[in-house]
Amino acid sequence: MLKYIVRRVLQMIPVFIGVTIILFILRAPGVLPGDPVRMITGERAISEQLRAQIIEKHALDQPLHRQYALYVSNLLRGDLGESYQRGRPVLDIFAEKFPNTLRLALAGILVEIVLGVTAGIISAVRQYSFSDVLVTLSTSVLVSVPVFWLGMLFQIFFGIKLKEWTGGAFYLPISQMSSADFPDWVHLILPAITLASVSTAYVARIMRSQMLEAMGQDYIRTAEAKGLTRRAVTFRHALKNALIPVVTFIGIDFGVMMSGAILTETVFSWPGVGREIFLAVGQRDWPIVMGGVIIIVFLVMIINLIVDLSYAVLDPRIRYGGGAE
Amino acid sequence: MTSLLEVNGLTTHFTTRDGIVKAVDGVSFRLDSGKTLAVVGESGSGKSVTALSIMRLVQEPQGKTVAGEVLFKGTDVLKMNEREVRDLRGDRVAMIFQDPMTSLNPVFKVGRQIGESLMLHKGMSRKQSFERAVELLDMVGIPHPRERAGDYPHQFSGGMRQRAMIAMALACDPDILIADEPTTALDVTIQAQILELMMEIQERTGTAIIMITHDLGVVADMADDVMVMYAGKQVEYGSADEVFYRPRHPYTWGLLDSLPRHDIDEKGALQPITGQPPSLIDVPSGCSFHPRCRYAQPVCSAEVPPLAEVSDRHCAACLFAADPEFVRGAPLPVAAGEGGAR
Repeated sequence: MLKYIVRRVLQMIPVFIGVTIILFILRAPGVLPGDPVRMITGERAISEQLRAQIIEKHALDQPLHRQYALYVSNLLRGDLGESYQRGRPVLDIFAEKFPNTLRLALAGILVEIVLGVTAGIISAVRQYSFSDVLVTLSTSVLVSVPVFWLGMLFQIFFGIKLKEWTGGAFYLPISQMSSADFPDWVHLILPAITLASVSTAYVARIMRSQMLEAMGQDYIRTAEAKGLTRRAVTFRHALKNALIPVVTFIGIDFGVMMSGAILTETVFSWPGVGREIFLAVGQRDWPIVMGGVIIIVFLVMIINLIVDLSYAVLDPRIRYGGGAE
Repeated sequence: MTSLLEVNGLTTHFTTRDGIVKAVDGVSFRLDSGKTLAVVGESGSGKSVTALSIMRLVQEPQGKTVAGEVLFKGTDVLKMNEREVRDLRGDRVAMIFQDPMTSLNPVFKVGRQIGESLMLHKGMSRKQSFERAVELLDMVGIPHPRERAGDYPHQFSGGMRQRAMIAMALACDPDILIADEPTTALDVTIQAQILELMMEIQERTGTAIIMITHDLGVVADMADDVMVMYAGKQVEYGSADEVFYRPRHPYTWGLLDSLPRHDIDEKGALQPITGQPPSLIDVPSGCSFHPRCRYAQPVCSAEVPPLAEVSDRHCAACLFAADPEFVRGAPLPVAAGEGGAR
C-alpha cells in the first residue's frame, strides 16, 4: 500500500514537468499576442529605464529555458512568483480565492450526491415507471445544456423574473452581495446547482445502470433465496456493489470542481480560483495562470490518488501492493 | 400422510416479445423428508424454473407461475403472502446455485453472508451468527474456518465457494435443500467431493434434497426418485431404480445412451440425441419430443401423451410406454455404482 502511494507520488513529477513546459511554450514570444511589459504597466507611456527595470525584475530578457529553470527553482521553494497586474504573490491571491472555490465545490458535490444518487436509485428500482422516464429524460436534457447558459437562465428566472417572490435573494451578483440580508448559503444555491448540473445527470445515469446491473447478478438471487426483504436485497446487496463506480466518478468530479469551475464562477461572478484564472488569461498575467494551473494539477492528482485508494475500501477484490493471495 | 413437499400441476410462463414461453408445464411430484429427488433434463427443459417456482423466485412480471400448487407440509406456497414466503426461504427451503463464482456477493465477507440468514430467521446477533458460520464452514470441510470466515469470496477457490454456498444453505437447518446444478461449474474431482458432502450432510441432518442436473451419472448414486423433464414437461418420473433400469421414455433412453459407459464398447462413440431442444414458444404438436424421437409414429405428432403410470411408482409420458414390444428397444441398464460421481 505504502509502496503504491510512493509510486503514485513519483508519477506526479513527470506530469508537473510536462504541464510547466507546455505553459512555458504558450508564453514564449509570438505564441500568444501581448507584450508582458505592456500587461504590467498598462497603456501608460513608460521610460526606457523603467521598461528595462521591469524586464530585469521578471527576467523577461533571459532565454526561455533560463526562465523555466528559474521558475522551477522558485517553485520548489514554494514561490509561485508575483502577479504582473497586482504586484502581489500568486500564492496569496489563490489562498484568498481558494476557500470560495472549495465552498462552491462542496455544495456542488452535495447536490450531485443527494440528487444524482437518489434519482439513479429510484429510477433503477422503479424501472420503466413514470419517475424512471422523468429521470432519463431530464438527465438527457441536462447533459446537453451548456453550463454557462443554464447559469444565465437561472439568473434571469430566479433573479429577475421571480425577484419579488424570492425577495431578491438571487438578484445581485454574489461578489457585490456583502449585505447581511440573506444567509451565506443562499448565494450558493444557484451556482452549486449550475456547477453540478451535468455531473448530477451523469451520476444519476451511472447509478441507474450500475444498480440495474447489480440487481441482475446471481448474488441477488442468492440473497433473495435467503428470505431477505426486497429492501434489504436492494440497499444492502445491490447498492454496495453499484456504488463503487459512482463513488469514483464523484471523487474525480470533486477534483475537477475544486480546480475551479471557470464557467460557473465567471457567469456568477463567483470570486474563486476559476474566475481568477479566467481573468488572468485575458490580461496575460502569466504568473497567475501558471500558478493556478500548477495548483489545480496538484489538487487533481492528489484527489485522484485518494479516489483510487478508496477503491480498496469499497471493493475488497482490489488491494494495492499485492495484499490478498 | 402429507408429504414434506407436494407439487401438483405446476405451470410457469414467461412473457417475451416473441410470445409466451411455457417454461414449466404441468409438473407434479412429491418429496419426503430425507429423500433425494433428481430432476434431469437438457438445458432449457425447465428444471431451474421449476426450482425457482417452488421458492417463488421467478422474476416477475416477465415470469409468472400461472397454475398449480406447491404444498409445503400441506400449505400452498403459491397462496402465501410475501412475508410468509420470505419466512420459508432460506429457513425451511434453501437453495444453492449453479455458479459459485457469481452466486456470492463479492463485497461481503463469507462469514457474514452465511450468518445473514441466521440473523434474519433465528434472531442471532452478528457475533453469534459469525460463530455459527465458522462451525458451518468447518462442517462443509473448509480448513481454518475461523480465518476463512473473514475472507471475501474472491479469496476462495471454486470448490470452496460451493462449499460456502452449501454452508449458507444449511445455516438454518432447512427441511428442503434445492441444488440447481451445484457441480456443473466445477471440475470433475471437485464435483465428486461436493456430491459426497451433500450426501453426508443429508445423512446427518435428514434434509430432503432436490438435485437438478443435466447429468444422469451424477444422480445415479444419490437419487431416490428421478424426474426427467423435456420442453417444460415431465416425460418420466419414478423411483431411481425404475428410471435407471427400466426406462420407458425414448428421451430417457437417449440421455442414458449419451452417458459415457465403461462396461460396454469402450471405444465406441457416444450416441447423442440428434437435433436441438424445441423452442418453448412454439412447442411441437403432440409429443414435444417426436421430431427428435427415433421411434416416432404419425400418431405422435397428433396426440399429446399423458403422464401415465406404467408400473408401481413409475410414470412415463409416451404413447407406447406400456407396450412391452416397444420397451425392448431400451438401452442396457446402467450398472450400479457406475456413473455416479465420476
